[in-house]
Amino acid sequence: MHWPWERAKESLSEELRAHLQMAIAERVANGEDPAHARAAALRELGNLPLIEDVTRESWGWMWLENLLHDTRYALRQLRRAPAFTATALLTLAFGIGANLGVFQLLYAVILAELPVPHPEEVVRVHAARSPFDQSWTISYPAYQRLRAATPDIPLMASAYAQDATLDLPNRAPIPAACTLVSDNYFSGLGVAPAAGRLFVQADERMGQGEWPVVLRYDFARNTFGSAQQAVGQHILLNDRAFVVIGVAHRRFLGDRTGYAPDMWLPLALQSTGALAVPWDSLGPGHDVWLDKPWYNQPTIFWLVLMARIPPERRAAVLAHWDQAFRNDREVMTEATADPVVKAALLHVKTEVAPLSENGMSKRFTVPLTLLMALSASIFLVGCLNLANLQLARLHARAHELSVRIALGASSGRLIRQIVLEDALLVAGGSVCAFVLGRAASGILVRWVSNRNALFTFDLHPNLPVAALGVGLMLLSLLCFSILPAVIFIRTGIAQTAGSGAKVAGISQTARQRFRSNVLLGTQVSLSLLLSTMSACFAATLVHWETVDVGMDREHVLIVRPELHQPRYTDHSEMLPELYSRIQERLQALPGVRSAAVEMCGGIHCGWITALYVHGRSNLTDAQVHGQEDHVGLGFFSTLGIPILRGRDFSSIDTDKTQPVAIVSRAYARQLFGDADPIGQWVGYVPAPDDHKFMIVGEVADARVNGAEREAPPVVYMSINQNPAPINSIRVRAVGDPRQLSDSVRHALHEVDPALPVSDIVPLATELNGDLGTEKLLARLAGIYASLTLLLVAIGFYGVMSSRTARRRSEFGIRLALGATRRHIQMLIVGQTARILLAGILPGAILSVLAVRAASHFLYGSVGANSLAIIAASLVLAIAGSVATLIPARRAAFADPLETLRSE
Amino acid sequence: MTEPTKYQNRIELLQGTLDMLVLQALLREPMHGYAIAQVIRSRSGEIFTVETGSLYPALHRLERQKWVKSEWKLTDSKQRAKFYQLTTIGRKQLTTDHQRWLQLVQAIGAVMEPEVQP
Repeated sequence: MHWPWERAKESLSEELRAHLQMAIAERVANGEDPAHARAAALRELGNLPLIEDVTRESWGWMWLENLLHDTRYALRQLRRAPAFTATALLTLAFGIGANLGVFQLLYAVILAELPVPHPEEVVRVHAARSPFDQSWTISYPAYQRLRAATPDIPLMASAYAQDATLDLPNRAPIPAACTLVSDNYFSGLGVAPAAGRLFVQADERMGQGEWPVVLRYDFARNTFGSAQQAVGQHILLNDRAFVVIGVAHRRFLGDRTGYAPDMWLPLALQSTGALAVPWDSLGPGHDVWLDKPWYNQPTIFWLVLMARIPPERRAAVLAHWDQAFRNDREVMTEATADPVVKAALLHVKTEVAPLSENGMSKRFTVPLTLLMALSASIFLVGCLNLANLQLARLHARAHELSVRIALGASSGRLIRQIVLEDALLVAGGSVCAFVLGRAASGILVRWVSNRNALFTFDLHPNLPVAALGVGLMLLSLLCFSILPAVIFIRTGIAQTAGSGAKVAGISQTARQRFRSNVLLGTQVSLSLLLSTMSACFAATLVHWETVDVGMDREHVLIVRPELHQPRYTDHSEMLPELYSRIQERLQALPGVRSAAVEMCGGIHCGWITALYVHGRSNLTDAQVHGQEDHVGLGFFSTLGIPILRGRDFSSIDTDKTQPVAIVSRAYARQLFGDADPIGQWVGYVPAPDDHKFMIVGEVADARVNGAEREAPPVVYMSINQNPAPINSIRVRAVGDPRQLSDSVRHALHEVDPALPVSDIVPLATELNGDLGTEKLLARLAGIYASLTLLLVAIGFYGVMSSRTARRRSEFGIRLALGATRRHIQMLIVGQTARILLAGILPGAILSVLAVRAASHFLYGSVGANSLAIIAASLVLAIAGSVATLIPARRAAFADPLETLRSE
Repeated sequence: MTEPTKYQNRIELLQGTLDMLVLQALLREPMHGYAIAQVIRSRSGEIFTVETGSLYPALHRLERQKWVKSEWKLTDSKQRAKFYQLTTIGRKQLTTDHQRWLQLVQAIGAVMEPEVQP
């Protein structure tokens, strides 16, 4: 190698040689004998290598040369211990990577602010809760009034529409998440366009031929190649013409954490009915016309408000709004007959809430913090494990190190060499960790997401994540390298210097043993904690996946047809006939037991309604509110929901006959107590119109909102008496419902070739769709637990191996004196047992505390969870013992003669 | 100008003195290490024997300070050797060092022989 200092070194040697030559030459010239002259000159010159060393130090870049030397030496050392290197690399990669992945998610969900100027000024405006859904939505006329009341405050409105279908030439249809926003949405927030322009007032015009649309950056890039290319594209969305006028800034993913719309569209688009928008209203019987445009209906509540208000002006602005909103509050009281609720509604004041207070942060703060804690423990276990392995490794190298110190190596240089070796490991491990962390956060997002809606977070690398990464790197270096090296050089070497390696081995002090026992014990504790949590989370998940939901969850398929098209909505009187044809065709399929249509599409139907009982005017809101669903014939038998009293819907129930309803047990209890609901009259509104429906049946409760949610009170109406587009078809199979997908799709195509089917899922999958948090916790905790278990096993193996290796001669003597092999094995395993016991006790206490802290996410009694602790302890004990048995057997079965001879 | 004061503050008296002697030896003409040692020895009346272990680090240090520069040349006896030559900065440094040395000698003299003082 031709480093610059190699040449400089050559030059120095030559210079000194020249000096010597001249000295000899002069002595010879003075008449000395050449051999004598040479010896004298050499004597005069002194220690040549030392002179070279001292001179080189004056060059000032010795440190660099040393560093390179040390690096080369370190790489050689690492190559010589491939098992240690691999363990360390993997431990660091997982330990740091897990933390980075979880933190990235934690940051995106909880800590990140809206990427707009002065995000702290942007707030949600909560004027009033809507009567049924209890969502913070208001009507369009109310929005206009509020906006007019404070013209200088940007008040933005938005409405989350259902996914639309984007059709592009020569491409499969793309589902696109859409949000309707007011014209001042982007300008009020301060979002800059990445290309094109964002909305202006003119975009709110009614009746446009080609509606403007703004795309999300990543959606534009994935669909059109780039933001620039997307601008000006003419697209078909739900069969209507749109033109892309711009693309929002790259980092702007909408105002709701986790839910990033692919497209933003003007509010005025609602009037066309092109998109389905969730709404709430005063309820049936009031002046509500869902089919007509909503912009002039003060009784339909569908807009979510957001405003940019400087903090000092908040009070004044809110007072203005309360004034402007008073009328709307009075309108809203019409939705209830409960005088207490009416009075409370009138007293509500308009409030603001920071954007960070959202459902996402509410739902994920605790689980993610929990995961962060678990990730931190796995990092800690990893570091402890490496520290222990490192100490064992240093002890094994004690002889070499002491010889080097004796030969004049400075302890600083030795520590530097050891630390450098580990720094290389940490650097390598961290690179893997960053890659792993990025991949991990992507996977985590998929795990926590609902089945149907993938959360979109801003997972760009950012400063806090990078800082955490570097911090963990340094911490791990300190824990597993610098501290062990310093401790070892300070204490270990002193006793070994000048003595033989064997003496050094035996003289491992009680303190050193204690130290590594404490490290191992701590690992056992943390590992027990992680294993327990993992077992509890897994048990919880299994519980929700198998709990009795009141339906036949294993055999039902949910088919989602797309009926929200003019050819169905405009001829709703034809729908009952279509539904019966669909039912007949599907029931004729082999393997199908029954089929039925249903208004609700899945667990997020959330159709809140009110039922008033004829002759009972004293019901509170809590009693009258429940969920509504319109179902076809044979729905209950298809879902496996038993009919408790009365009858099912039948073909005699049509729009010409008396409207009937069937209530669930919970609703019946709410409305009638233990009295028989059959034959009772109910209506959507209080007297005098409270006898529209007659209750003809009562069915058992079912967890229709998801396996983990209590069965809600539900009233079922007949779809044939209220013809409307359905959102799902339920098919009950004889065997595995998944195998029916293709034949069902095929059959539907035969019934109506123009009817698109957007989705087919098993009921079991749908019911578990909201178990994202539980799945995340169970899977991640499971991975962590197995990793720590592995680490603990490696730890025991490593420490016990090096310990038995050092005690080889002792064992030899013991064997020679008559100890049995069993005795030797028990001696070693006994050590492990003591460490395990010392670790399991505090670990169990820690686990109890953790289980209690996480009880919100856990299903099951204290007893079941303590069972998890015991099981986890057993697994740990087995892992530790097995890892110890290997070196123990090796020690016990070594030939004592061989051992003693090698002394 | 490099930072002579900083350098000066750092080094010890004797080392600084050796640097000065080396610079002084090079004042007339470029020389190699052996010659420098010889010159210092003979001029000091054989009192100073410059250790090789001190001379070469000093030379290399001076070179790094850019007070001397070096060049490989042949000696009169056809021996390849590294010749050191005073630079402009080195010349200035020598002047400063020399003055300082004179002050030092005076001061030490004043302390050691107080009765000579008027």
